[in-house]
Amino acid sequence: MESDLDSDISSIRAEIRALQSRKRFLSSSLLSSDALQKHLPNPSIPIPPSSLESQSQSQLAEASPLVQSANTHSESNHHRIAFSTTAFPFTDPSPYGSSGRGKDSEKEHEKNLLGVRIDVCARNGRFVRPFYVLLKRVTGHDGQRRLRIHRHTIPAFISMQKLERIYLPTPSQTADQEQGEGAEEEELKPWKKKRPTRKPDLHAFVRTLRRELVSWQKRHDAIGLLREKLGVRNQDPDSEQDVFSDVKDGGWLPINSMGLASLSPTALEARYVRLEWEDGRVGRFKLSNTGMVERAVVIGDQGRDKMLEAAMTGGDGRVESMLDRLEQYTTSQS
Amino acid sequence: MARSKSIRAPTTASLPSTLYIPSTSPSVSKSFNKLSRQALLDLVFQWLDDNNVESFPPYLERDQVENTDPDDEETSPYPAEQTIDDVRNAYQDLQDRKGGKREVIDRVLEGDWRHGITLRQLAMVDICYMEDHPASLRWTALELARLDGVEDTQTDDVSVCLPRIHASTFLKNLQQLIAPLVKAHYHLARSNSLPLTFLRILVTNSPYQHPRQQPEVLMDSSRVIYIAFPDSCPYIYTSISSAGSKTSTSATTAVGTDTRSLQRIVRDAIPKALSRPQERYTLKATSLSAKSLQALLSLRGPSRSNAANGAFSIFADAVVEGSPLDPRPANTVLPGEYMNRREDGKENERTEDGDTKNADTHIPKKRKLAVHSRFGTSGSLSSAPLDRFDVRILDSPSGRDNQEPSEDSQPTLSLTFAGNDVISGIRKLAELGIVDAERMPSWMTGEEGVSVAVVHQGKRVTKDSG
Repeated sequence: MESDLDSDISSIRAEIRALQSRKRFLSSSLLSSDALQKHLPNPSIPIPPSSLESQSQSQLAEASPLVQSANTHSESNHHRIAFSTTAFPFTDPSPYGSSGRGKDSEKEHEKNLLGVRIDVCARNGRFVRPFYVLLKRVTGHDGQRRLRIHRHTIPAFISMQKLERIYLPTPSQTADQEQGEGAEEEELKPWKKKRPTRKPDLHAFVRTLRRELVSWQKRHDAIGLLREKLGVRNQDPDSEQDVFSDVKDGGWLPINSMGLASLSPTALEARYVRLEWEDGRVGRFKLSNTGMVERAVVIGDQGRDKMLEAAMTGGDGRVESMLDRLEQYTTSQS
Repeated sequence: MARSKSIRAPTTASLPSTLYIPSTSPSVSKSFNKLSRQALLDLVFQWLDDNNVESFPPYLERDQVENTDPDDEETSPYPAEQTIDDVRNAYQDLQDRKGGKREVIDRVLEGDWRHGITLRQLAMVDICYMEDHPASLRWTALELARLDGVEDTQTDDVSVCLPRIHASTFLKNLQQLIAPLVKAHYHLARSNSLPLTFLRILVTNSPYQHPRQQPEVLMDSSRVIYIAFPDSCPYIYTSISSAGSKTSTSATTAVGTDTRSLQRIVRDAIPKALSRPQERYTLKATSLSAKSLQALLSLRGPSRSNAANGAFSIFADAVVEGSPLDPRPANTVLPGEYMNRREDGKENERTEDGDTKNADTHIPKKRKLAVHSRFGTSGSLSSAPLDRFDVRILDSPSGRDNQEPSEDSQPTLSLTFAGNDVISGIRKLAELGIVDAERMPSWMTGEEGVSVAVVHQGKRVTKDSG
């Protein structure tokens, strides 16, 4: 009896929470909608008191902070959608600053980090979770201020150390100064001897990083498209995490004319795609950043299947049309 | 009939997976005893699967012909079955009814595999135990780094920073490297729950294919090395405790045959086996070891949280703001909602309940905000449980010194935290007001993502290069 009541209460609570979050969602949609924003007078322009009734005025005064916050929020959203890479300030809450050295005034300065946010749009029209890079300002030994990567949320297969070395190099230091630096600077030495120091270029850094992230997403999407063409039920559009989770469960593709039994990326970075045929042939191909099938290998019981490999990389070489080429090849063979 | 035992020549081949260990040996039943009844039954069904049964043949009636003593067979409580299907049915019966695991173990060891348990079966038992008890081992994360500076010349592809690991090629290379010194048995397995591949290596010092050692030697857990390869990241995890690459110099002078030096040989061979011509790798220490593989995966793994912990975990979990299509201003949405927007239902309920519980303890709002800004989501919504956290503080006790850390002259203070989840424990302390959330240094929030740290003026010093 008691457990019944408990479950009732918890289900009602869950419903209330769902409704509350829906209400919040709707009200903020309404507040940020274009129609409403146009009809509301701009709060920054003072309204002459005589022109409006006192009641509606008080309502406006109550609504204006909400309207304003909705306004700024939708503006920042527009920026994020339009430019995809946006910057924002962030203050490190640590009382010691980001490097821990120097005087108090410097520490205050070091707490201010430059955040870079990269939004990538997926195939289903939604945005994946934004990627962040937080950069700190470090005073070099020549007195110049340089940007260094402090924290980031970029997946491990994109080497941030390498990107930083290429695009945000620190100026060369004398040997005795170098000893005080950390281990990452040690690594820089062989590189520095070979090449003159490049100028730090934040724009190029962000551009390269964004290109990597977008092409990762595109590769991911292309494989998703191929699987969809092969009749794999599209999973919940909200789940961005693991679209290929069924692969690990040993799930097979529905029966198709090409005799393909499975098609899945080999790893998280979705650079290589593994194929399996019903007759036991296995293959894999490499996806380029521009969506081309760069290389393909198919091995059966009788060794390499060069014709099939040529069919995969032939034609216009696009990954999207690869299944058509495979189908054409299979029908021409039989 | 010539017995294979009469020819014993030292070889460099690996120990065969089919090497039998007598089922009567007490250490075999001890290692089976660690598993639960269901796990045991699952394993047996795996052995009896059509694809695998060739490798793990059960004892059938036709095997009895060779047996000289029929009386012994009659007294056995488990008469040999006629076909493999009968064996399967017998275990299906055990599956359907309730009972202890003892009867399953007895049936396996005294019945269907009375002729012996192979090394591969033992390896599977061990891996199965590890999956069920994730905290049974202590793992150390090591970073794979390029030994040469060649990579800078190829600037076009930034995402190719990790060696591609082809399991059988890697094993072949590893075997070639360690074969003259160590005889080993290898077992590769894919983890069921985590994005990892386990490699279990059993090392022995006998050069013979069929060693005449006690079965206990082949089952000694100190001879087993586990290596885990996480997907898509330049790290590997090992269960080898001693993480000192400096000791390899002593190995060149005298090669010991104790298990520690055998383990070291294997450890040193791993980066070499991963290397290719023009692409040499080395293993670097990353100051992180923990019992939980989940913690290693989130701090040195393929995902987003490698370099964003502590205060920055809000970015790793993307709870600062929603997608740009979300009309709700970020300050009106709870962080839990951003995290669980994909998996509604129970998950959502659970975290919300947790939030209300937190509110019940009457934490002052200001302190709660401070705790949240310092710890982000780490220790509450997302967690990377560290079971041990060692810190050495180089600051002088007088508090006046502002110099660079000099390790020789000053007294230093070492702190060791131990528990189930150290970082969330510190968070609890901060919530209770025992630790001042605003003034504490950032290493206390787990921001560095390490389990061993040297601290100077509130900041981790990375002087050790390996």
